[in-house]
Amino acid sequence: MTAVWRVARGAVRRRRLQTVVIGVVVGVSTATIVLALGLLAAASAPFDRAHAQQGGAHLVAAFDRTAVSAEQLTAAAGRAGVEAVAGPFDQVALDVSANRGAMVAPTLNAVGRADPGGPVDRVNVWRGRWVAGPGEVVLDVPPGSDLGVRPGERLDVQGGHRLTVVGLAHSVSDTADAWVTPDQLAVLRPTDVQVLYRLTRAATPAEVDEGLAAVTAGLPPGALLGSRSYLMSRQQVAAESGVYVPLLVVFGVLGVAVAVLIVANVVSGAVVAGVRHIGVLKSIGFTPNQVMAVYLVMVTAPAAVGCVLGAVLGNVAARPVLAEAFEVFGATDIGVGPLVNVVALLGMPAVVALAALLPALRARRLSAAEAISAGSAPRAGRALAVQRLLGGALLPRAVSLGLGLPFARPARSALTLAAVALGVMAVTLAIGLTNSVTAYEEAVRPVHDDRVELVVGKVGGGEGPELGGPTHGVPPVLGDAEDEAVLRALPGAVRVAATSRQLVRLVGGQDSAMVLFYRGDAEELGPRILSGRRPDGPGQLAVPSRFLNQHGLRLGDTLTVELGGQRARVEVVGVALANSAAQVFADWDLLELLAPGTRAGSYHVQLEPGADRRAYAAAAAAADPGLAPAPPRGGSSMGVVVVGAAVLLTLVLGAVAALGVFNTVALNARERRRDLGVLKSIGMTPRQVVVMMVTSMGALGLVGGLLGLPLGVAAHHVVAPAMMRAAQADVLDVVVDVYRVPVLVLPALAGVAIAVLGAFLPALAAARTTIAEVLHNE
Amino acid sequence: MTSDNSTAQVVVELSAVRKEYRESAALDGVSLSIRAGEAVAVTGPSGSGKSTLLNVVAGLDRPTSGSVVVNGDDLGRMSETDLALFRRRRIGMIFQFFNLLDDLPALDNVALAAQLTGTSAGQARARALELLDELGVAGRRNTYPAQLSGGERQRVAVARALVNRPALLLADEPTGALDSRSGEQVVDLLLDLNQIGQTLLLVTHDQALANRCASRLVELVDGRVARDSSLERTP
Repeated sequence: MTAVWRVARGAVRRRRLQTVVIGVVVGVSTATIVLALGLLAAASAPFDRAHAQQGGAHLVAAFDRTAVSAEQLTAAAGRAGVEAVAGPFDQVALDVSANRGAMVAPTLNAVGRADPGGPVDRVNVWRGRWVAGPGEVVLDVPPGSDLGVRPGERLDVQGGHRLTVVGLAHSVSDTADAWVTPDQLAVLRPTDVQVLYRLTRAATPAEVDEGLAAVTAGLPPGALLGSRSYLMSRQQVAAESGVYVPLLVVFGVLGVAVAVLIVANVVSGAVVAGVRHIGVLKSIGFTPNQVMAVYLVMVTAPAAVGCVLGAVLGNVAARPVLAEAFEVFGATDIGVGPLVNVVALLGMPAVVALAALLPALRARRLSAAEAISAGSAPRAGRALAVQRLLGGALLPRAVSLGLGLPFARPARSALTLAAVALGVMAVTLAIGLTNSVTAYEEAVRPVHDDRVELVVGKVGGGEGPELGGPTHGVPPVLGDAEDEAVLRALPGAVRVAATSRQLVRLVGGQDSAMVLFYRGDAEELGPRILSGRRPDGPGQLAVPSRFLNQHGLRLGDTLTVELGGQRARVEVVGVALANSAAQVFADWDLLELLAPGTRAGSYHVQLEPGADRRAYAAAAAAADPGLAPAPPRGGSSMGVVVVGAAVLLTLVLGAVAALGVFNTVALNARERRRDLGVLKSIGMTPRQVVVMMVTSMGALGLVGGLLGLPLGVAAHHVVAPAMMRAAQADVLDVVVDVYRVPVLVLPALAGVAIAVLGAFLPALAAARTTIAEVLHNE
Repeated sequence: MTSDNSTAQVVVELSAVRKEYRESAALDGVSLSIRAGEAVAVTGPSGSGKSTLLNVVAGLDRPTSGSVVVNGDDLGRMSETDLALFRRRRIGMIFQFFNLLDDLPALDNVALAAQLTGTSAGQARARALELLDELGVAGRRNTYPAQLSGGERQRVAVARALVNRPALLLADEPTGALDSRSGEQVVDLLLDLNQIGQTLLLVTHDQALANRCASRLVELVDGRVARDSSLERTP
């Protein structure tokens, strides 16, 4: 073995470029695989991962504190089927309606907890700190979200109490909206107690129900006020997280496929390039098995180093990507699972060894004489018909020679072509998804050049009249009806719709919905109705399909809504296009019923074609200084993350594919060193050599582009609707049908770009090769 | 051509050429002039600098010091691209191991050199066919190098070297890889070419070959010119 090791070590040192290429390709491929598999593993059950990481509660139960004692609850929790328990914690509904500027919800479910940790529901405090004394509150806000609340702000609550926000935290179990110390909660007069359970069996609703039955058995009747299973929370967040799953699955599979192709290409090329060396070894007495061992060691040694470094790189790269994608769950420390690392660290060397084994076996069978003469004896020409055809073509000779090169090594060219095609497929898919996200954003929140939205300023120095909507500091001088009349009368106005945004409670559950009430030309200026009809009376609502899905409703169902103590029974008459599941639409008549006299918070105006929007807004402000143009709205964070993830993964795949091309050209140049020398000796310029080598890959890139393009489009037609369905959103034609001819040009050329980028450096090196020695010594 | 060349144009002018590889000098102050129509054989033991001399004349390698002027062009002042264009137009090379492109048939191997100068594919093939015919291998024009005999390969290589009508034909051990009969044929070919005015620089360790082909003998020893004398060709 010593001889084998010495020879292999010498070969590794002598063939520095090959060693580096193998190490780098295996390293980058391993990093890609770790990233892809890590994302796949994380995406397959993001909620479960975050829930497990936080020791999330399987069951959250609220009990009447007057009907049951803490001792009874603790005793009940000790029954079989309960893995861990937290609580009982006192809780109360905090009225924070006096703080509308900071909070969307008028009430917060506050829980008294001294410690964010514990065996169940370890709350992630991602900004500020946990409550330490009276007068302090921590709010439940998903990491990265911005509800306009910062630590240091103060909240006025019922009973004249004032709480200072000291931190922002998130519970994936959604156990509270706010936390205070137990002493502080006692001051706020708790109404009930909360107990959090982790069950030994909680995979299905039936098992969770069994757990609930166990922990409530023997308690006084009426002690249980309500309960919530984590399965419900999982279903709700699945709408957000599920969006990423199809994307990550496709990119994960692409990443693995490209990496395997490139590694196989690099390794088999290295063995093929060393055939003559094999002949020398045999001639001095190495057995076929020893020769094979030399080659396996020679290839797997740098591969092993690359694999380990790549795994480290993949873990480092995956961390921010996973945190970005899944921070909504409050889990900021999601990393690549150990299984993924094990698979990558064992799988990649196995792929390398397998890829090396086949050509090494072939070399093993070569006779010493045959192997040692490789390179100096003339080879039988390959792809001869193609070469002849190209020789007569009306192309510069460097180009026609380059076009013929891929046919000389068809297997290597096929592997490279496949890698480029997959790279182009990724680019096509990423472009399609970017366009889909843009198309969806535009469909949901259309930007019209002929429209102006004017918002009403704060009334009486307080809040703007439209809850949660944009506002400004100048109060209106005219009444609602007068403003609308003025806007209709101003030159250029064609249609006007007044709107008011109000948070209503859905009676019968604990949910709320933001209702946008329309008055005036709602038909033209209101949301797009996908099915059913637009609300035109007091008892009607139009809701997005996500709302229907999340509430188990269908078109035609009825529900009761409540605003300021006034209730109304409404029918879902239409499905509207909206991004948020909690955004619903109604006619102004319903607002008149629930909150008579409410003034509009904003006015949507459609202008004549060519009318000056700035001039119209200035005229409106002149008529009533309380009317100002609405600020521009940004894209959704989900859209940004989807596009960001797609672009990042595409860049990684493109780089790996380009690395594959780099390797192919480097191998071709090495194998064809003599031919290059001959061509240069008869007058081929360095530039022509570069053109020839780059053309050889450019042609592959073009074909790869043409193959990858339809694959990418097909993948998009699967992934985009799957993402929409996962988000419980409507699958719109504009989201799926995003490829137009100009859009297709870019991915079609991406193959050429990948090929040219990958080929350029080794082509340049080939052009600079000293030729004198090879021509005389062969 | 055995006539006096003393008034003919100088095709190759080497002045104090030195070429170093790491510590050792392959060429050590070589000065040499070759006039048009001459057939010069460079001989010497292995490692004497014969091939290095050929490389610097062909522009395949650059001297460490000294100047190399071929057909009026100072190679030391040329870029890599200029050197390629120089080889394309001025130089024809024949190698011991032929150095044909295995993926191209004989005709295209020859035509390729012409196509690089901008000649159309049709014209290049016509000229190549003409040369192959003159060298007696036109019948093998569609055959690939692997199926040609050694002598045939070298004839194709000679045709390729001549296709652009070079000012200087360089031959590096042209018969070294051939059997005696094929070697004789190649020698006759080189003689014929020189007879019609082709300037020839031949590198060989074979004294008999030098005596048959060359009108002048330059012997290199340890990178220096040890002898430079006229020859009477042996029949």
